[in-house]
Amino acid sequence: MSLAIPVGLNNSTERPGERAPLVLGDTTYHDITETVCQVAERKPSKAWVIGFLIAFALLQWFGICILYLFYTGVGVWGNRSPVFWGWPIVNFVFWVGIGHAGTLISAILFLFRQEWRTSINRAAEAMTIFAVACAGTFPGIHVGRAWLAFWLAPYPSLNLWMWPQFRSPLLWDVFAVSTYGTVSLLFWYMGMVPDLATFRDRSKNKYRRMAYGILSLGWSGSSRHWMRYEKAYALLAAFAAPLVLSVHTIVSFDFAVSQVPGWHTTIFPPYFVAGAIFSGFAMVLTLMVPARSMLGLEKLITIRHLDNMCKIILATGSIVGLAYGTEFFIAWYGQVPEEMFAFQNRAFGPYWWAYWTMISCNVISPQLFWIKKFRTTPWIIVLITIFVNIGMWFERFVIVVSSLSRDYLPSAWAYFTPTWVDWSMLIGSFGLFFTLFLLFCRLMPIINMAETKATLAKQIHIAHMDEH
Amino acid sequence: MSDKNENKIHGVVAEFTSVASLLAACERVRDEGYTKTDAYTPFPVHGIDTALGIKPTVLPWIVLCCGLTGTATALVMQIWMNSINYPYIISGKPFISLPAFIPVAFELTILFASFGAFFGMWLLNGLPRFSNPVFTDPRFDRATDDRFFLYIDAKDSRFNQTQVEKLLADTGSDYVQSVVEDESPKKVPKFIVTTWITVMVLSIIPLLIVLKMRVTNSGSPRFHVFYDMDFSPSKDAQQNSTLFADSRAMRPDVPGTVSRGQMDLNFQTGIDVDKLTQIDPLGAERLVFAVNADVDPATKDEKPEAAPPSVMDTTPWLKENPREITLDLVEKGQQQFGIYCSVCHGLNGGGNGLVNRRAQKILAATWIPPSSLHQEILYADKYPDGKLFNTISNGIRKMPGYASQIKVEDRWAIVAYVRALQNSQNASMDLVPKAKQKDLEKKKSEIDKKLKEQAEAEKKAADAATAKAEAEAKAAEAAAAKDPT
Amino acid sequence: MSHSRPVVKPADDPAFTLPASLSALSFPMLVGGLLALVVGWAVGTYGENAKIGMSAYLTAFMYCLTLSIGCLFFVLIQHLVRAGWSTVVRRIAELYMVMIVPLAILFVPILISLLFGEGVVYRWDNPSYAEVNHLPMASWGEKSRWLNQYWFTFRAIIYFAIWSGLAIYYFRGSTEQDQTGERSVTDRLQYWSGPATMAFCGTTSFAAFDWIMSLSPFWYSTMFGVYMFAGCVLSAHCLLCVSAFVLQKKGAMRDEVTIEHYHDLGKLIFGFLLFWIYIAFSQYLLIWYGNIPEETEWFFHRQEGGWVYVSIGLVFFHWLLPFLGTMSRHVRRRPWAMCFWASYVLVMHYVDLFWMIMPEAHKAVPSAAPAHIGVVGIVASVLCVAGMLSLMVGLVLQVAGQTKIVAVRDPRLRESMAFENL
Repeated sequence: MSLAIPVGLNNSTERPGERAPLVLGDTTYHDITETVCQVAERKPSKAWVIGFLIAFALLQWFGICILYLFYTGVGVWGNRSPVFWGWPIVNFVFWVGIGHAGTLISAILFLFRQEWRTSINRAAEAMTIFAVACAGTFPGIHVGRAWLAFWLAPYPSLNLWMWPQFRSPLLWDVFAVSTYGTVSLLFWYMGMVPDLATFRDRSKNKYRRMAYGILSLGWSGSSRHWMRYEKAYALLAAFAAPLVLSVHTIVSFDFAVSQVPGWHTTIFPPYFVAGAIFSGFAMVLTLMVPARSMLGLEKLITIRHLDNMCKIILATGSIVGLAYGTEFFIAWYGQVPEEMFAFQNRAFGPYWWAYWTMISCNVISPQLFWIKKFRTTPWIIVLITIFVNIGMWFERFVIVVSSLSRDYLPSAWAYFTPTWVDWSMLIGSFGLFFTLFLLFCRLMPIINMAETKATLAKQIHIAHMDEH
Repeated sequence: MSDKNENKIHGVVAEFTSVASLLAACERVRDEGYTKTDAYTPFPVHGIDTALGIKPTVLPWIVLCCGLTGTATALVMQIWMNSINYPYIISGKPFISLPAFIPVAFELTILFASFGAFFGMWLLNGLPRFSNPVFTDPRFDRATDDRFFLYIDAKDSRFNQTQVEKLLADTGSDYVQSVVEDESPKKVPKFIVTTWITVMVLSIIPLLIVLKMRVTNSGSPRFHVFYDMDFSPSKDAQQNSTLFADSRAMRPDVPGTVSRGQMDLNFQTGIDVDKLTQIDPLGAERLVFAVNADVDPATKDEKPEAAPPSVMDTTPWLKENPREITLDLVEKGQQQFGIYCSVCHGLNGGGNGLVNRRAQKILAATWIPPSSLHQEILYADKYPDGKLFNTISNGIRKMPGYASQIKVEDRWAIVAYVRALQNSQNASMDLVPKAKQKDLEKKKSEIDKKLKEQAEAEKKAADAATAKAEAEAKAAEAAAAKDPT
Repeated sequence: MSHSRPVVKPADDPAFTLPASLSALSFPMLVGGLLALVVGWAVGTYGENAKIGMSAYLTAFMYCLTLSIGCLFFVLIQHLVRAGWSTVVRRIAELYMVMIVPLAILFVPILISLLFGEGVVYRWDNPSYAEVNHLPMASWGEKSRWLNQYWFTFRAIIYFAIWSGLAIYYFRGSTEQDQTGERSVTDRLQYWSGPATMAFCGTTSFAAFDWIMSLSPFWYSTMFGVYMFAGCVLSAHCLLCVSAFVLQKKGAMRDEVTIEHYHDLGKLIFGFLLFWIYIAFSQYLLIWYGNIPEETEWFFHRQEGGWVYVSIGLVFFHWLLPFLGTMSRHVRRRPWAMCFWASYVLVMHYVDLFWMIMPEAHKAVPSAAPAHIGVVGIVASVLCVAGMLSLMVGLVLQVAGQTKIVAVRDPRLRESMAFENL
């Protein structure tokens, strides 16, 4: 089972006609099981405990802020006329965007037979679900009377005697995000069942065995089961791929179907999708690069994986840049005064600082990934991806706030200022995200063992054929 | 133990260490004619379907049906809810606006299809199934780690334990074992049942509370979560409010804004500003500044005086009323004139309004009587409409300006009415429309006739009176003559 | 799992050369194509007016151009992602992609009509356009800084320069490898594929704005470039599928292109059909929902008269029918069925372009009888596109005759031949 390994652990160069290995070292199937299971089976490290405590504290703070909001009303936010969609919607779009990479890595890369996805898809899918949970919080608490949020559902109401308004993009959003959350959860869980069975079969403790036994639904690894499982997985991937596109498309409809200058532009759907993939991959890298070295996963999440993800960031970052440019060009080409003003205002108006932060983080910083050195040096990757995340948050801020604060009615123009509650909720949502993610690291298989083993099997098969 | 279980042999399992040896064994077993076989692997093995002769699944068809159900559900739901059961129009779109229904239809298609794929797969696989005879083998735990197992079921028609074991050993397996009945207790552990029941009971409680609330009437007033949302504090015009720094509840115009239709300088000043700019650029600039500053209370103090009308009036006043003269306009002017002007100038514009009469009566010393509007110098040829407008707006001599009380367009209406008033005093017949001339002449002749009759009657009466008086005088004379004393 | 790797035939194997029966077609196709093109243009111009004639020409040109740049994109993206499966069909795409050079020459008539005519194809080219349509002079002045004949010509030259440069560079690299078999060639082509793709995306987007969107000078849609791009990529995959099928029928590359490749092309066609409707629907929905007159104008004209049937027909026949047709794995694994659906989509792609371009010519001729215009327009368009396409294919056959039809020494050829779907 030994394989020719390039020097060190760097498999990012590939001679045409040969494929660089995706599982490095003298790794066997059992090594993969060991490497992944030890993450959950050993005692939590100090770093994990500290990280978890911080995240959990932030989560509590988030909860307190939400209670304060419910008790006092939405006035505790900086949302004022005309910017009624302030930070809550910015945060919502930001988190939904982050929630795109997981299912994208799983589904689209699966459909394109990108085998390098196998060692990162699990964590990315988990990240998707947690990000969607963070995202779902914001519109929920933004509706004002959050305890009546169930009015969004089309249920036969005895009080209202009427139905939700299906021509509203906000309702499409409810359907899109909840469908996305549900399908991502199914996809994630289904992918995890064989690995949970591995956990079950390795557990020494009776209760642990029982818990993983229930979660793994009695999976035995039967070939008939695998056959149907793979079919179902491929089908789910085929649905999830257009679903990923549709979700951010519909989020973009929230803006683009209106007539607000700077919002009503037809490129929004693909541009939002590209932006979402961009930010999602950035978040995956921000999390996975430190996790990879802290949890000892270098042989499974190799430099080539990082290199590929950086390339995707570069590609989507450039698409986003092209879309910014197109918007500007068409605003001028269209010669509609309001549109021209909206775009001038973005770049040179009161929010110029947000705009130029966005441009430098989203368009300029990923261009550094043209240089291979940057794509293969972990700390630089983390640095750039953090900038990308900041930039993508600012992109949503620029779209939401700069357009709303300068709409058609100049008498209503105002400058938006966030309050401490806005800040707390943004930071608190990170608490929610990291709490869930850290728990996931401890409790679930963070790498798809079954698929990684299949990749290794293929690698062995090819090596075997080359020997003959 | 072994005696008991030998009757319950489910099949034989063999362990392999690599994919290649497993595949070779599978092919061999298949070629031997065994059909009830299965392989257990830690990951999906490419090519095992053919090696074992596994038929493709019907799952895609189930999923297709689920997906189409989703599409149909979404479309029917939206059309029925928004177009039939509770139809209403939003943003001018038709009741059944298909493009707007597509996103939800797409989402539900995907959702239903995904449910179909997910649950369909488990259903076809017969999972969850927590008890499986193959799990009894202690080495089988490695089927999810790094070992590959081939299993031949005892139900296979060709099954014969010794033959099968030999065959499997021949394929190169080091470990061949018969699979026996799982003898672990069949009962679900008690604590699971207890927890399950507790959770179920607890989860029903909120539902019961809601249901109870739905059917119960309560005498106590409802609880207001946001008091000020349910009872919003509304203010009257002159009240003060703590909400704004200037403590006024009524908000002034926003700085820098202009009301609709108020951008026209000529219209606002009554002066042809373009011409003024040519004659007197400085004056024009001041005028423009004054007009703009006028709407900005913050800079009101800095407002320079509007250009005072000089003696030699060179100001290019608008010669014509910029508003279209209609009956409505003149009537509006009449109404406004009645409200604001008539108190001094009198209803007929003669300068003898109530205030004037009162001033005369009390012999007010400083009183300057208001002008009569029927002087020649105030006629349109000498006193252009624009100047008249300016006078109404900014006042003249003792008369104050009315710009802050009367809207611009209404001031122009007053100008129109004043012209009508002036004309009414000096109208000639040719000003009257042809159709009405006859009418008027008829009326005039009637009035003339009446006047004439009246005059005649008066004359007659006077004559009669004179005659009577004369007669009386004569009679008196006669009486005096008869009675010399 | 196959136990042995497929054997790569030697580079001079007859399976890799263009079958003689096809190269014999080249000359007749060139002559016939040119003839049909001229006749088509003449039918439009003299049967109706110069605008109809030139618009039919433009439609045919855009059709061939989208196929060609679609293939260019295909080649770039295969290098960008270091794809292994596609190597056996990549040369076909490379042959179509170099057609960008003759297409640049075929663009000259459009430039001539622009430089010497007044508003023959593009309404903004008419100096009195703004006046006749009572356009606000200030914004028209700004706009004509972009939409004027010289700057337009300059931009067209830029686009063609970039595309031809890329096409020739990648074609040369690939044919050079046929001789030498150097791996470094693949490395070099891969190295440049990133910037090349970016240059491609920028130019395609702006070319779509210039050549089709500006037909309606005051209409704008930021998504339009993406819409064009979706059509390009979809039709390029269809073209590869049909070409591979025809070549195999004639006896070439029978062992190299397998059912697996048709299956994969089928999946991509299926996927890009979905992508096309996604872009088309998003564009329509946003404009329909926003309901701003400047924007709805474009779709409004496509709902007038007979055009409404074309508009609705596109949804059903450009998307729904082929989408359902290619959904099944069983269809995708049958080469003849995939060839049928690919040819069908190629026809619908033409209808799509016809729907984008011709209503603008139609609208500009208010007085004539609509039925008459319709017939003449359709005859002219069909002749033009048949002519231009046959001209292009004739040239492809010429070039293919002088080189191989498979990248015979590509280091990934063996991987491509061995490739299997899930």
